[in-house]
Amino acid sequence: MVEPAHLAARRQHPDRRWWRPDWTARVALIPALIITIVCFYGFIVWTFIISLTRSRLLPVYNFTGFDQYARLFANERWWTSMQNLAIHGCLFIGGCVVIGYGLAILIDRGVRGEGLFRTMFMMPLSMSFIVTGVIWQWVMNPTLGLQEAVRDLGWVTFEFNWIVRQDRSIYTLAIAGIWQQVGLCMALFLAGLRNVDPNIWKASRVDGIPVWRVYLHIITPMMRTVFFTVFILMSAIVMKAFDLVVALTGGGPGFSSDLPARFVVDHILNRQELGMGAAGAFVLLCTVLAVISPYIYFELRKARGAH
Amino acid sequence: MTRFTKVAGLTALLLAGASASSLNAQTAEVLHWWTSGGEQAAIAEIRKGYEARGGEWIDTPIAGGSAARAAAVNRMLGGDPATVFQFAIGEQLRELADQGLLADVENVAAGQGWDDKLPPLIMQAAKHDGKYIAAPINIHGENWMFYNGAALEKAGVSVPKSWPEFIETAQKLQDAGIIPIGLGGQPWQERILFNSVMLGVAGRDFYARAYSTLDEDLLMSDTMLKVFETFAALKPFVDEGSPGRRWNEATAMMIDGRAAFHFMGDWAKGEIIAAGIEPGSSVGCVFAPAEDLAYIMTVDVFAFSNIDTDAARAAQEKMAGVMFDPDVQIAFNQKKGSIPARMDIPNDSFDDCAQYAIKTIQDPNTHLVSTGLFGVPSSVSGAIDDTISNFWNSADMTPEQGRDSFRQAIANAK
Repeated sequence: MVEPAHLAARRQHPDRRWWRPDWTARVALIPALIITIVCFYGFIVWTFIISLTRSRLLPVYNFTGFDQYARLFANERWWTSMQNLAIHGCLFIGGCVVIGYGLAILIDRGVRGEGLFRTMFMMPLSMSFIVTGVIWQWVMNPTLGLQEAVRDLGWVTFEFNWIVRQDRSIYTLAIAGIWQQVGLCMALFLAGLRNVDPNIWKASRVDGIPVWRVYLHIITPMMRTVFFTVFILMSAIVMKAFDLVVALTGGGPGFSSDLPARFVVDHILNRQELGMGAAGAFVLLCTVLAVISPYIYFELRKARGAH
Repeated sequence: MTRFTKVAGLTALLLAGASASSLNAQTAEVLHWWTSGGEQAAIAEIRKGYEARGGEWIDTPIAGGSAARAAAVNRMLGGDPATVFQFAIGEQLRELADQGLLADVENVAAGQGWDDKLPPLIMQAAKHDGKYIAAPINIHGENWMFYNGAALEKAGVSVPKSWPEFIETAQKLQDAGIIPIGLGGQPWQERILFNSVMLGVAGRDFYARAYSTLDEDLLMSDTMLKVFETFAALKPFVDEGSPGRRWNEATAMMIDGRAAFHFMGDWAKGEIIAAGIEPGSSVGCVFAPAEDLAYIMTVDVFAFSNIDTDAARAAQEKMAGVMFDPDVQIAFNQKKGSIPARMDIPNDSFDDCAQYAIKTIQDPNTHLVSTGLFGVPSSVSGAIDDTISNFWNSADMTPEQGRDSFRQAIANAK
């Protein structure tokens, strides 16, 4: 093996340590580090501090303990939005994984016109959540969308009015969200499937194992890292889901399809409830950490153990 | 010419130029959220008035009320405030004043006699420590009931005078295949309907007391239960597509006769005029059914940043003067669809609906606040919208539960 140039250089000049490339790399990282510490961790701390005050329009520092949290937890809309986050999170991530993986397998089986299908499923991804929301709002609106169209065709009892029903509106978010993101998941899974050693397929054919069992018991466990990537990406999208709700349902009817991110933005910007908004943001952060960190920890430990 | 005179002459010229420009440079940056066609035409009237008096206007429009308010506050905190900015009067503006971020325009107000010319409710809301911190330019009314005359005729009904009558009328309209209420299904629009019902069922004194005191006994009273019962009785008269609908789509439904009634603020007149109809003709405007004559008011104001330069102060005072000028208020409000904030302006140049509103508000007892932007703290305002919208869209909440969640949300937000 050829020795990398910088290692060779270091051996020749052991005293000129400040010139070492990894040193300069570290220096170059300092701005990014500062930005991360200040803008990320710094503002998390600041948000927490604000949540302990009675700030309304402007940040003020008269502390009231956990008063804002008490108000938050007494708020019906907050609990609805947290419950919605759980429902939406499960449906959206689950839907993206299952449908995305399914599509990837179908394409991997060698359908004709693979390129066409890939493009078709990836297309929605090029649209923003706002556009996605507006399109689906039209499609699902009972008086001008799908329901009306089907009724006009003659099936007059056809009903698809989830978007105007308080008990169903949250599911419309998952429909629109999955429609948009499933292409990305499919692409990731497809990339994973293409990396599978062809010899595995040859061996399984020799052994006469049915295709579905190969996918279920051999390929899927091999795709663990891809599942992990998809899960993390989709979780991030769920947590910050804001624009989709705004465009699709506006949180309604009532506040039945509200999500915590929208609750927080609404209270900080529209209602001058800076303190309560900050409390909401902090609770959201803690919830997310509580749910996601065990999984990340588990996965990373396993990955490290495998080496 | 000696060198000295040359230099002296040049200096004098420069000085003269400098002082002239500092006299004339009443440059005002105006931050506002009026970006739609009719709104732009309206604010252009203020601009015209300001420029006619020698001021220079820098326009900073930001779409969306809450985005514009946030931008105004952020710029103030960042040390680069807009000279004049549109805002909502009430608690938020007082909070800015408490922090010393606002300038007052008391000199101009005293000179023009604002105290005698503004409705008392608006006068109080525009003051902080006895000084005016905001210049009110107009009054919008929110308890209007617009109706399509042809649709009513088709069903053989007339304009109802009370809520029980309204429900009977609505039933007949529905039987005739007309949507009785064209309702935009966003929380604030549902709240406008609710407040009109509350005024009609509970009366204006109750309305005024309930929203000014937010008293728990009033909110839990039998009267309030009746309000919720009446409100709930209206649910069947709205079409399925209402949730999420924007207000102008709902106005359009009423204009083209798909819907008979439409409850909205007087800005809906803009849509009616744009459809080529004179408000008060085939599309009529009356107050929502109520025994007491009353006007639920919301008001547009401009506030002034605390900028400590003579030029900025001069610009702000000039602007306040322009905004209160009778001719500017007339021209502005005809474009905006509202009525002047000044009560002393002759009303013959306005449309029928506006003339009726101007006549109504001559009696101070008719003045009520909207809970939208200035009547109650914004946290309470939001809580009201939340619970009203939740109740309206719920399939199984009883009026008792509605009243209870209303009281609780207000108590929690206070």
